[in-house]
Amino acid sequence: MELVRAERRHEAITLIVGEFRRKVFGLAYSFLRNREAAQDVAQDVFIKVWRALPGFDGRASLSTWIYTITRNTSLSALRAKRPQSSLSDPDVMAAVDASDAAPSGDTVVDGVLLQRLVDQLPTKQRQVIMLFYMEEQSHEEVATMLAMPVGTVKTLLHRARARLSAAAVK
Amino acid sequence: MNTPDSKLDERLKALFGGLDAGPEFEARLMARLQAESQTDGKERAMRARRQENERHARALSNLMSWRHSMLRLLTLDTLGIGLLLVVAVVMAWPYLNPQLMGGLRQYGLDVVAMVGVLLAAVPLWMNRARVG
Repeated sequence: MELVRAERRHEAITLIVGEFRRKVFGLAYSFLRNREAAQDVAQDVFIKVWRALPGFDGRASLSTWIYTITRNTSLSALRAKRPQSSLSDPDVMAAVDASDAAPSGDTVVDGVLLQRLVDQLPTKQRQVIMLFYMEEQSHEEVATMLAMPVGTVKTLLHRARARLSAAAVK
Repeated sequence: MNTPDSKLDERLKALFGGLDAGPEFEARLMARLQAESQTDGKERAMRARRQENERHARALSNLMSWRHSMLRLLTLDTLGIGLLLVVAVVMAWPYLNPQLMGGLRQYGLDVVAMVGVLLAAVPLWMNRARVG
């Protein structure tokens, strides 16, 4: 905020990008499930943050403000273009095809199959799982990112892990 | 010993732990911000110029309306002064010195014409001086 007040917006945004790049990208990815789309949204988010920085009054915390912009931008992108499953990503598709052809063990779930299982989770559970494991986030951080109570995050995480465990041992 | 849950944890960490934007993300963003900042500067300059033009036009319009009202006032004043002069001359006429009367008879028409020309010309002259 001091940098913004001192008309050093460029330095401020550089710091913000360094701090929030992964989180903003991860949050956008949890909505869009497509790397390119999530990168485009993350770019738009930082441009919006840069434009709005002089008007940011600090009433909400910086992270809450940035996550709100990210959620809104992601939802707009989703509305503009129907959601794409990560399974439609060319890289992931190739990996899934390869894994289908390869023999797999009884309880061994490789990354691509696990990705497929995560994709089948309900949206909120999928988002919580992704964000929680993305950077070993705390429940509180994930709750801030998704604007939901911490208790809800814990419940969703518990349910998602239970579903994944059950599916993995099948 | 690894429980199925801790195995799942490890796999989920492996799957999502490395999730990040591409390596060229920041360079692309900084280029966009650079372009944005230039556009921002140009827009600010254009907005300032437009505001200045509007302020100038408003000030000019205020000045013109002030001139018009002053001119109207001056014309009325001039008419009033002219009328007062006529009334004063008519009232003073019987008491004037015969010598002066002689002079007035000789030059009276010229004096009246001069005063009339002056009275009529003052507002026009004022207007021209202001506009110029």
